[in-house]
Amino acid sequence: MALTFPFAAIVGQDEMTLAIQVVAVDPSIGGVLVLGDRGTGKSTAVRALADLLPPISVVKGCPYRCDPAKPASACPVCQARDPKAKVVTERQSVAVVDLPLGATEDRVVGALDLEKALSQGVKSFAPGLLAQAHRGFLYIDEVNLLDDHLVDLLIDVAASGENLVEREGLSVRHPARFVLVGSGNPEEGELRPQLLDRFGLSVQVRTPQDLALRVSIIKRRDAFDKDPEAFKALWHKDNQKLQKRILKARELLDAVEVSDDMLMLCARLCQQLGTDGLRAELTLLRATRAYAALQGHKAVKAEHLQSMAPLALRHRLRRNPLDDTDSGARVQRSLQEVLAA
Amino acid sequence: MARDNTQPSDPLERWNDALTALQLLQLDPLGFGGVCLRAPHGPVRERWLHALAGLGIGLVKVPGSVDIERLLGGIDLAHTLQTGQLHSQAGLLQQADQGLVCLPMAERLSPTLLAPLVQALEQGQVPPTRHSAAPTPTRFGVVALDESLPDEPGVGAALAERLGVWLDLNELSPSDIHAAWQDNSESDGLQIRLSPGALARAREQLPQVQASDEHMQALCTAALDLGIGSLRVPSLALRVACSHAALNGRSTLDADDLGFAARCVLAPRATQWPAEPSAQESEPAPPEDATPPSEPPEPPENADQAPENDAEKDEGLDPPPEQNAEPSAEDLQEMMVAAALASLPPHMLDALMTRQGAASHNTSGRSGQTRAGSQRGRPLPPRPGRPGGQARLHVLATLRAAAPKQRLRQAHSTGRVAIRAEDFHIQRYQQRASSCLILALDASGSAALQRLAEAKGAVELLLQQSYARRDSVCIVAFRGAQAQLLLPMTRSLVRAKRAMTGLPGGGGTPLALALKMAYEQAAQLQRQGVTPILVVLSDGRANVTLQGLGGRAQAQLDAQSWGQQWRASGHRALWIDTSMHPDAQAQQLASTMGASYLPMPQVQSQRMAHAIERVRSSQA
Repeated sequence: MALTFPFAAIVGQDEMTLAIQVVAVDPSIGGVLVLGDRGTGKSTAVRALADLLPPISVVKGCPYRCDPAKPASACPVCQARDPKAKVVTERQSVAVVDLPLGATEDRVVGALDLEKALSQGVKSFAPGLLAQAHRGFLYIDEVNLLDDHLVDLLIDVAASGENLVEREGLSVRHPARFVLVGSGNPEEGELRPQLLDRFGLSVQVRTPQDLALRVSIIKRRDAFDKDPEAFKALWHKDNQKLQKRILKARELLDAVEVSDDMLMLCARLCQQLGTDGLRAELTLLRATRAYAALQGHKAVKAEHLQSMAPLALRHRLRRNPLDDTDSGARVQRSLQEVLAA
Repeated sequence: MARDNTQPSDPLERWNDALTALQLLQLDPLGFGGVCLRAPHGPVRERWLHALAGLGIGLVKVPGSVDIERLLGGIDLAHTLQTGQLHSQAGLLQQADQGLVCLPMAERLSPTLLAPLVQALEQGQVPPTRHSAAPTPTRFGVVALDESLPDEPGVGAALAERLGVWLDLNELSPSDIHAAWQDNSESDGLQIRLSPGALARAREQLPQVQASDEHMQALCTAALDLGIGSLRVPSLALRVACSHAALNGRSTLDADDLGFAARCVLAPRATQWPAEPSAQESEPAPPEDATPPSEPPEPPENADQAPENDAEKDEGLDPPPEQNAEPSAEDLQEMMVAAALASLPPHMLDALMTRQGAASHNTSGRSGQTRAGSQRGRPLPPRPGRPGGQARLHVLATLRAAAPKQRLRQAHSTGRVAIRAEDFHIQRYQQRASSCLILALDASGSAALQRLAEAKGAVELLLQQSYARRDSVCIVAFRGAQAQLLLPMTRSLVRAKRAMTGLPGGGGTPLALALKMAYEQAAQLQRQGVTPILVVLSDGRANVTLQGLGGRAQAQLDAQSWGQQWRASGHRALWIDTSMHPDAQAQQLASTMGASYLPMPQVQSQRMAHAIERVRSSQA
């Protein structure tokens, strides 16, 4: 396994790293969309996730890496197991799976196991990328250029959390609950609204214009390229700290209080911005709560809302497709109005 | 190979850089991603490739027709079927480990291949395929050969971005480099290849090379000055400069190394003319509302004069001061920017001056377009056929076909499925061909501002429709003495909107030029597997000729002849006559083109949209 750049060593792009940490605390927020140019550290940040997050315990021998505490109802392997038998578990690192642009459908959803079919004449299912990403992250670079039929697939699976395969004479259902991370440059093509909606948070990255910041990025990158192991060792402590922070936030999450006033505030904000459906409110609420937990606060405050509102709502504004004012600014403006009211 | 680094862009210089790049590849094939070489097929490129092949590093050629199994490794079908044991074969990318992958016609590579290739390059391992769960480590550099014409999208940005050195030998003629070969040696490429001793020394030197803080600072600033946002680029430039230093036996970077990196890494990616130091704002100015600075810092030599074959070194230009004092970051950075600008061909410089550079770099190559292939789309029922190339074996159908014949074939019972070639079925996919609307907008005086505003409204509606259909749009506007490509093919409404708002009106009607441009665009789209549909919004009263001169009669003739060209191409078209009193002129042109004709004195968005819809759905 090639070594990845340590997450803690990433400088700049605070909004993106924050969004990624927030969804790591609460995966139910539903993923991060990163919009911006190339060479801004998008992939670096996503790939760094795998060793930022603590290993998860999985049922040994389950191809879908089910959680021993609560095996997925859709898992054919775990459901077929004798409930009295003792479950053997093992620890594995969180999966960060790449879905490349040109991936074929069978590679994504899984397909007939060619090997077994050919050498033994047995019909069995070889899981695809969606299965691999279960309980982890699915990363799609240039998600706005993804083929329509793959987008359809993703929309469906991201909503239901399970993957249904009915092809090549197979009939398989398996769990596929993952955090979707997409990146792309809107100048090169738009994202379908349905898919846009599946992303919980969206961030805009720009290349840092501050020279000192740029130099320090290049320096770190160079140091990492020259001797990855030494560089990782150097940052190990900081990475551990971050990991602990995320774990603590996860424990704290359920205890974070959201007052009725806050709920009203969320609702009013969404109303004022004219976001569609209840999903926006729900995402906003979850993101704000996760952020508060990450900060170690026991109750959601207005400041948390201020930090998270642009991320959670920016891409949900009902917009005239030909209007290109910065939506992040619009969210902030409405929030100020709502808070003042 | 010490050189001045303030040379104007001369062919020999560029050729020398290309040769130096070869030596860097030999020294450090994996360190800086590789090389992207823009050059037409011809003796110059052949020379370079010949030298590349003579470097003695592993070189795996990947044809564009490669299938994904061959690229990434997979099951060796024939062998497996023969023996009943699973045999897998290593893919080309594994074979290229520690060496180079060469991509001929890289600009034509399909995204299906490009994506996993970039993934492997990025992560140093071949992504796991369906049949090999474990990723296999492989590290390679890439040499991408780009034969695209200036107006075509080049190598997909995702790949090109990661290749450190970009060379452009487009304008080199064999006679330019002939002298260089005379100088070097008549034996091919032996001079280029480092001797084992020299190579070992340079490789030993490479990890020792130190870049000071000033160097890093200079690299970053120079990149920023040239409008290069991506942080990958200064990183790559640093690697290239370090390799260049090691090649010359230095342990610290000097002006030569930075100059080379500036010429080959930064310069080709430049998108703007360096701003005056005072204009260092935190926000980069968007290309539209920026005015080109009146005084460029270092006007490059006018490269209009034909370069001499024996390209004499111009000693008149002040070489960098050979002082003992360390140059400061500012000096280095100015030197790099000057070297970068000096190495650019004149047309690139013009583009930078007019701030067109940024736009031309914003293509995603061909990776943005889906093209008809049998690899993706809605699965169709399988049919008998041989797998390979673009066709995947449909295993189940194959087994199904073989099943009834098992008894016959089991002369000796082996307990295996006996499959013969005639059983093979392949998977087929149906893909909806995407189409692209080419809008030719008449913005001349006769079209009147009122008309133009209406047309803009209609176009916006069209754009929204196209967006809903996932089709793309491209806009050609014509007025005065020229037709301009207002918006290259895009699905992005934001860009389309931006292009539309800034469109001025007034001037003559160069119809012929517009039709010519539309025709060229259509041909290009066709090559990309996109169906072009032309919509002309004009009154048809051409009064500017193909040469951009006035003259109604000649202008009409020119327009007619390009109209005939369009008809010959067989693409669909719709002519919307925008004049208040429609007359025969536009109608005649439309019939010459084989276009549907629709008079519309007041442009009505809805009606127009319906008409286009009809043309779109009609069978050409």
